Amino acid sequence: MDSNRLRDVAHWLCGAAILLGCERLGRAISEAFSLPVPGSVLGMLLLLLGLMIYGGVPRGLARVSEQLLRLLALLFLPAAVGVFYLRDLSLQDWLALLAATVVGTLLSLTLCALLLAKFLKRADGEGGRD
Amino acid sequence: MTELLHSPLFALPLNLCAFLAGVAIYRRSGTALLHPIVGASVLVAAVLWLLQIPYGDYQQASGLLYALLGPAVVALAVPLKQNLAIIRRAGWPLAVTLAAGAILAPVVAVVIALLLGAAKPVLLALSGKSITTPIALALAEKIHAAQSLTAGIVVFTGVVGAVAGPPLLARLNIHDHRVLGFALGINAHAVGTARALEISALCGAFAALAMGLCGALTALLLPLMLAP
Repeated sequence: MDSNRLRDVAHWLCGAAILLGCERLGRAISEAFSLPVPGSVLGMLLLLLGLMIYGGVPRGLARVSEQLLRLLALLFLPAAVGVFYLRDLSLQDWLALLAATVVGTLLSLTLCALLLAKFLKRADGEGGRD
Repeated sequence: MTELLHSPLFALPLNLCAFLAGVAIYRRSGTALLHPIVGASVLVAAVLWLLQIPYGDYQQASGLLYALLGPAVVALAVPLKQNLAIIRRAGWPLAVTLAAGAILAPVVAVVIALLLGAAKPVLLALSGKSITTPIALALAEKIHAAQSLTAGIVVFTGVVGAVAGPPLLARLNIHDHRVLGFALGINAHAVGTARALEISALCGAFAALAMGLCGALTALLLPLMLAP
């Protein structure tokens, strides 16, 4: 019973260490080669590559990741609060922002959906002929 | 007393309480319009205003949360790995749509804002609008866009896509859950993925996959596109 609990904690710590390690490594690579890509994104790609080679997701890593991603909104809350302190935008900027986010998002969403629907129909058609 | 108000000892519990309240409001309302971040950020802003705490002090005191954003981006690799098998089944249509969508989403938004005469900081912040917030924030740092503006735009974009996307596509006679999920993941990131999960598990898996891949692809492409 106790040893199970201890093992869970050890798995969890291992998972957390993997996440931190990948982040640090990604950041170090990004800085060393002065890449334009954020270090954390490189870390994510490294981890993805590692998981594909490993052929699965270790239990502890799965748990830490799930917990962290469930708290995502909490993590970027301080940045989001800053929206209420934006003062240097003109009315024109606000209108442009509103149009770009509402019209732009719905337009690109529709285009993506139409494109994929068309491709899938073609791919399914090819599959049917085989 | 004021020292306490400006320290992490006050800022972290404030963030946590506001977040929990935001989640509770979201669950009770059942609409993506009240995404947890909407309620939570209004609450925090109200408390800061009441206690007259400058935003900079609060931001600094919340450093721990900022520090966890990086590991959270890395953690995105886990759901990505779990959903990657889908790509093998649905194949090239997904890959092509992903590449097209990752370019379309920022370009369409930036062109609209450019036509309406928006200033450069606005255009920069808009370029990361469709990718998940932690990646967008990391990217904002790289391309020197304002973090707060970026966070606001990203959340708002997600809410617009999650609320209006499904009915819009239904009107266009698109009922394939794979298509709906993938389009939501590319254009409305985590907010859209949460909405997709409510529609069906298949829809949610496609959205999660699209969100992760689109975030990574945009982070790789955008700095190159913006390079002088």
